[in-house]
Amino acid sequence: MRDPSGFMREEYQDLVEKGFDWKLRVLEGPSAPRCKVDGKDVIMLCSNNYLNMSNHPRLIAAAKKALETHGAGSGSVRPIAGNLDLHFEAERAVAKFKHTESALIYQTGFAANAGLIPQLAGKGDIIISDELNHGSIIDGVRLTKADRAIFPHRNMGELEKVLQDSDKKHNRILIVSDGVFSMDGDIQYMDQIQKLADEYGAMTFVDDAHGEGVIGPDGRGIGAHFGIAGKIDVEMGTFSKAYGVVGGLIAGSQDLVNFALNKSRTWLLSGSHPPQVAAAQIEAIKVLEEEPEHVNNLWDNTKYFKNELISMGYDCGQSETPITPVIVGESHKAKALSERTFELGVFALPIVFPMVARDAARIRTMMNAGLTKDDLNEALAAFEKAGKELEII
Amino acid sequence: MALIGFIVNPIAGMGGRVGLKGTDGVLKEALELGAEPVAPQRVEVFLRRLDSIIESRGIEKRIEWLTCSDGMGEDSLRSFASDYWEYEVDCESSAPTTAEDTKNACKILLGKNVSLIVFCGGDGTARDIWQTVGEDVPIIGIPSGVKMHSGVFGMNPEATAEIVAEFISGEMDVAEGEILDLDEEKYRKGEWHIQLFGTAKTPHEPTYVQVSKVQVEAVGEDAIKEEIAESIVEDMEDEPDTLFILGSGSTVGAVSQELGIEFSLLGVDTVVNKELIAKDVNESKLLSLLDQYPKVRLVISPIGAQGFILGRGNLQLSPEVIRRIGIDNITVISPPAKLAQTPVLRVDTGDKELDEMFYERQYLRVVFRYKTMKLVKVGK
Ligand SMILES: Cc1ncc(COP(=O)(O)O)c(C=O)c1O
Repeated sequence: MRDPSGFMREEYQDLVEKGFDWKLRVLEGPSAPRCKVDGKDVIMLCSNNYLNMSNHPRLIAAAKKALETHGAGSGSVRPIAGNLDLHFEAERAVAKFKHTESALIYQTGFAANAGLIPQLAGKGDIIISDELNHGSIIDGVRLTKADRAIFPHRNMGELEKVLQDSDKKHNRILIVSDGVFSMDGDIQYMDQIQKLADEYGAMTFVDDAHGEGVIGPDGRGIGAHFGIAGKIDVEMGTFSKAYGVVGGLIAGSQDLVNFALNKSRTWLLSGSHPPQVAAAQIEAIKVLEEEPEHVNNLWDNTKYFKNELISMGYDCGQSETPITPVIVGESHKAKALSERTFELGVFALPIVFPMVARDAARIRTMMNAGLTKDDLNEALAAFEKAGKELEII
Repeated sequence: MALIGFIVNPIAGMGGRVGLKGTDGVLKEALELGAEPVAPQRVEVFLRRLDSIIESRGIEKRIEWLTCSDGMGEDSLRSFASDYWEYEVDCESSAPTTAEDTKNACKILLGKNVSLIVFCGGDGTARDIWQTVGEDVPIIGIPSGVKMHSGVFGMNPEATAEIVAEFISGEMDVAEGEILDLDEEKYRKGEWHIQLFGTAKTPHEPTYVQVSKVQVEAVGEDAIKEEIAESIVEDMEDEPDTLFILGSGSTVGAVSQELGIEFSLLGVDTVVNKELIAKDVNESKLLSLLDQYPKVRLVISPIGAQGFILGRGNLQLSPEVIRRIGIDNITVISPPAKLAQTPVLRVDTGDKELDEMFYERQYLRVVFRYKTMKLVKVGK
């Protein structure tokens, strides 16, 4: 007799033995700049809540109000009976904020990538990806019958060679990339990619999950950052990070939105956001437009924190964004630094081989606009103390 | 403890400095020409580097070397001691050492269940070891010979140390490495041809696939080969009545396995509409098939350590055959781990003008995962 589900325990055990299983930590209370993790008070340096928007009183009030006016759930998928006025309102707000003709909101960023990318290319087409693209893009690409090509990270010369090579061999060409890369905090050369795409008649798709609310004037994202808003065929993003809510978005032409909502299976076949989420999304965009201090604080904090780390003697890599890697070398050093800084009240995760090169193990920190100078000094003191104890600096 | 076999061919590489094509069978001549041993220094560089990697990475596992007497391992391990290993002499060597000593040592090491055999030598040594161990135990070479075309060597002694360190810390996958050596019969007739003898197992950096942002999963070599094979089989479905010429080696072999047809590891097979047309064909058979089928595709993979896609192990794919196929109809496939070690593809078709046609392209598409390719340089 076969053991119908024995593989679950076996595969899990295997992960445990290799130390690859997730040990979930529990946040007791809100995701805030200072919060309680597994019973310990810590300074949070690994959430994506860049602007501390999830705790903004206006977002909380908007969500509460929508609960009262619209109830707790949407009742259906959007194409049938779950399309609320609030959903349309949120989409109009996104398009206006991002200076695009139109926008569409998905349940999550993952659903946007996994639902739309497979519809943009098929047999006879080619999808060209940066080698460090996010897993949700990779999964979207996996669902197509298109050929795929990879170019070395942010290497425009190599991308152009792939375009030249693909020009005659394929029908549609789609270039897909992360905007801000979440491991190193570096930014894709989207302006150059757009130029190459125009030259070769290729489509462009950028996943701006870590750029939304962070880069560009008022945090309008990568299109605005490079002054090419509305030119990129698909600007994809998420409400789950800087906007402090949840939900995926795409912004572009009306043609894109008409196409996407009729074709994306994740959008068509999965229930829509509850009203309080849509209302909080709308309010998040309003706050960004009306209160520039959040984005400003985020960048001020980032610059201060990064400069102090560097002057202590830490290597902070090529980051251009509030994602600051603290690169320490061998894996065991990064793990030890992460454990010690956690003891000292700082929550940041180590990233080790094989996620990054063997000699580039690091602690990845993500800044939060809600941290005060005192908070930052406390975190820096922990990095200094632990770094010296471990002879890293 | 990691039980690892350790075999040094003390005369490896001696012929090179004095202009010989190898040292096997010509030691006396080499000595007369003033050749000096090179293996001991190479082994020392390897041991020093391994010691320092184990220390700096904090690797906990210790090594138990099982080795051979005198110059075949013992001397080196005695003169470079380390806190991270011990050694034991289990095999005898004669003076001067012979290929038989190597083969006997391998038999003993197999009996002792070593998890890896580290050797120092060239293609000849690799072949001697492979003849005894086959695919039973992975092998990895410290390069020290005159010829090193086989895919079982580190790029240099330091790289071999890195591979061994990763192997003992459990980070290595095991994959196939081709055993290549001079075709001695042809050589005696004055022709220089490197022949593919078979495949050994060798430690390989696994292919990592992102599972989540802070987690990856290692994917085995066989699974990757299967993925690549699936893409080629889909191409066969999309291109009916096309003659698919399948080159040698296990990566291309996986295509035939996917189709459930017989294949020749060392030879060239032909397939049309997913059916085997002719197995292990020679040049003239290929030429006649090319007359018969107007549409053609050649599927090849880099063979050995130096990234050769043509001119190593596949004489059937003569310049005339390649010209008739056309460079545009060549599909190169390779698992990513192997590709990472061969950043440049090479050709040595025996026809300079044809080689130039490849170099003019500068890049070739290489399929390295399901339907996924990257451009890889072709160069000298
Ligand atoms: C680059 C990138 N793309 C997409 C996503 C998925 O977005 P979501 O959380 O909205 O599903 C994430 C993170 O979660 C991300 O980092």
